[in-house]
Amino acid sequence: MRSTMDASKLLLAPLNLSPAPLALAATTRKPHSLRVHSTSSSSAAVSEAATPSSSGPLSLGRLTRPDFPILHQEVNGSKLVYLDNAATSQKPNSVVNALRDYYEGYNSNVHRGIHYLSARATDEYELARKKVATFINAEEFKEIVFTRNATEAINLVAYSWGLSNLKPQDEIILTVAEHHSAIVPWQIVAKKTGANLKFVTLGSDEVPDVGMLKEKISPRTKLIVVHHVSNVLASMLPIEEIAHWAHKVGAKLLVDACQSVPHMVVDVKDLNVDFLVASSHKMCGPTGIGFLYGKGELLATMPPFLGGGEMIADVFLDYSTYAEPPSRFEAGTPAIGEAIGLGAAIDYLSKIGMEKIHEYETELASYLYESLQSVPAVRIYGPKPSRGRAALCSFNVEDIHPTDIATFLDQQHGVAIRSGHHCAQPLHRHLGVNASARASLYFYNTKEDVDDFISALKDTIGFFNSFK
Amino acid sequence: MMWKHFQLPTITEASSSSFPPSLSSPSHGPGVARSQLARAKCLRPTASDKLLSLVSEFRSLQEPVQRVKRLLDYAASIPPFEEGARRDSNRVRGCASQVWLDVGMDRQGRMRFRADSDSEITKGFCSCLIHMLDEAEPDEVMGVRAEDLRDVNVGIVVHSRVNTWQNVLVSMQSRTQELVTVAATADAILEESSC
Repeated sequence: MRSTMDASKLLLAPLNLSPAPLALAATTRKPHSLRVHSTSSSSAAVSEAATPSSSGPLSLGRLTRPDFPILHQEVNGSKLVYLDNAATSQKPNSVVNALRDYYEGYNSNVHRGIHYLSARATDEYELARKKVATFINAEEFKEIVFTRNATEAINLVAYSWGLSNLKPQDEIILTVAEHHSAIVPWQIVAKKTGANLKFVTLGSDEVPDVGMLKEKISPRTKLIVVHHVSNVLASMLPIEEIAHWAHKVGAKLLVDACQSVPHMVVDVKDLNVDFLVASSHKMCGPTGIGFLYGKGELLATMPPFLGGGEMIADVFLDYSTYAEPPSRFEAGTPAIGEAIGLGAAIDYLSKIGMEKIHEYETELASYLYESLQSVPAVRIYGPKPSRGRAALCSFNVEDIHPTDIATFLDQQHGVAIRSGHHCAQPLHRHLGVNASARASLYFYNTKEDVDDFISALKDTIGFFNSFK
Repeated sequence: MMWKHFQLPTITEASSSSFPPSLSSPSHGPGVARSQLARAKCLRPTASDKLLSLVSEFRSLQEPVQRVKRLLDYAASIPPFEEGARRDSNRVRGCASQVWLDVGMDRQGRMRFRADSDSEITKGFCSCLIHMLDEAEPDEVMGVRAEDLRDVNVGIVVHSRVNTWQNVLVSMQSRTQELVTVAATADAILEESSC
């Protein structure tokens, strides 16, 4: 199994994980044939720890909360209940410490310095790349390109692969549920190349219609861009199948995995994706760093995205030759400390085990959905839990604007949720609303957090209804 | 045009707006308008006075829920918004909710604002801004900074990209500048033609 952490230790003490060497991360991972829906380990203790309970001291949420000092504070006079994890996650001590260790102990520029600090920084930076590669089971670490965030990673593919491979009448298939960062770069590239965008709408279960997607695939299809888990609908797409369909017509598949990589096992070999992007800050790592996974042979054929230092082999006055991937795509001084922090976050997640995180969150997801569903006048978007849901709910309350709900929850109850379109305006238009509220959980949340949120929401609804 | 050097344009038919029609004063000619304006300036509280009063009002409310309630009171007292003004060109972009802002200049060269939102709290923000800036001189409108509203202290921080204070205020200011430029241009044309 992916996580071999001693369950008894997990039960007894906060994780307080310090950055672990790659060897540990590598050995604590399950063979990559695991499916995300596989049931938990045979260890009774691990199963027990992964079972949330409103009063259970053994829930993963309760066990990990001490590692996140930020969660232990009051906001507007109330205990903070942080339910905006789909926007960004909190950082455990080990990640904060890794950043501090870097800046206090070996801050230096990477790759070209010959002094001790530079060599150490380079080692740690490249180690972080290997940790990412191991975490998503890439074939080799060179398939991981560090970017500022997932948005930049998508833009990298759009400007590099897209501009050099797309031509008039080619088609790119997307769904209406994509994040803006997975739509806008392709609108720009389509305009430049003459390619066309084709959008898949939702089925009756409010999940992107996979049947429609399959029907839209044709010899003109050159690229499919889809999310793995929707940041609004909480639904999950069958990436392996979509990859199979794409490859049958010679198309490539780019997966926005921002909402899946932090929450479950994601194995790029099993999924057989061509490109996959994710973001550090949604998976306990620092902001300012994300990554692109690209199949080695694809990255090797792609021209640079940005020009500058780091990405060159030789520079002459009239031309330059370019470095091999991943350096080719990392122009300029990279986010060194942030990459090392991401490596520490991966160590932390790996030590808990992504199956355990996923299993715990699946139960929390159902608890959140059922609890929210029981509140009168609430409309939750996306599929039923039986259809598979991530631990988030986007919703609206009849006749109360989601911004008003989010503001009151924050001001009166210290509950942090999101309101707005969540960077998915086309999806909201498709759903016939301008905005929604969204509560999104992570493994350090508990059933008590959900209970507090529901209780606060009922009070909020009562408050606004009293003004009508 | 730099605002600190801004001179109120000559009030003319060309520069006076029909917005909102019911609020336009009858025209008595530029000279009368100027003297009215001078008298009004002595009597009416300035935008700065209103801002201080608003900040003081919200600062006195200790509990967050009291501040939210006060905003909802402001929302309830927002001047009516004409349905016809709920058009795309009046949308204030970047807010977490939908906001419409209608802007005009009256015959005295003062700015007139009306706003609406599908969010009650946002409507409350808008109502506060209207309370503060409706009938203000253009330079008063331009002189307000979003930071000055920090102490109202409800919800979103000043520099958030979804902050209603910031976005509506900036929209009020940019559209004020546009109208002043139009008015100044019209005055210049009239002066030229009268020579």
